[in-house]
Amino acid sequence: MSRTEKIRVALEAAFQPRVLEVIDDSESHRGHGGYQEGGESHFNVTLESDKFRGLSRIARHRAVHAALGKELVSEIHALSLTLRD
Amino acid sequence: MSAVDTIKQTVTANDVVLFMKGTKTMPQCGFSSRVAGVLNYMGVEFADVNVLADEDIRQGIKEYSDWPTIPQLYVKGEFVGGCDIITEMTLSGELDQLLEKSGISFDKAAADKIRETNA
Repeated sequence: MSRTEKIRVALEAAFQPRVLEVIDDSESHRGHGGYQEGGESHFNVTLESDKFRGLSRIARHRAVHAALGKELVSEIHALSLTLRD
Repeated sequence: MSAVDTIKQTVTANDVVLFMKGTKTMPQCGFSSRVAGVLNYMGVEFADVNVLADEDIRQGIKEYSDWPTIPQLYVKGEFVGGCDIITEMTLSGELDQLLEKSGISFDKAAADKIRETNA
């Protein structure tokens, strides 16, 4: 499974999102720190889920980090999150 | 001193601290650069800690904050967030409120200008 798919599967399962966009944005970081040939180093994720209701910004981000797991998070160089309830 | 002690001392001794890749005058990552840029533009006085210069701090701050990415902003010893959160808070005005509440001076007109430009 590609990292994009892993992210998608993990977030679908944890948040049953109304909106989920996982964009591999690695190309726009070509030549910058952390860029890997073949991409899948920089991601932009937009996620809308009822599960974020009542959670602070920090708590929402932490919930996403936890759902992805330490291993996947450490493999990704940059993860930009837009999280809405 | 252990990395945790150094971090604790740094965020206690300085009202605003940005743990970043590179320095505020020479950031080495786009995300660090964005947050340092906002603070610089808003005239916020802050201490910068270059995590690339110290591997123990680089790992230590991730554990200390329970946050896997850099940059990380601290105000009055409290973790505020990384690049996404600081960007959102700048645009919503929440960062202004936090700074005001914490008694940290900044250029309100510059903050408004950022919001105007990104509206």
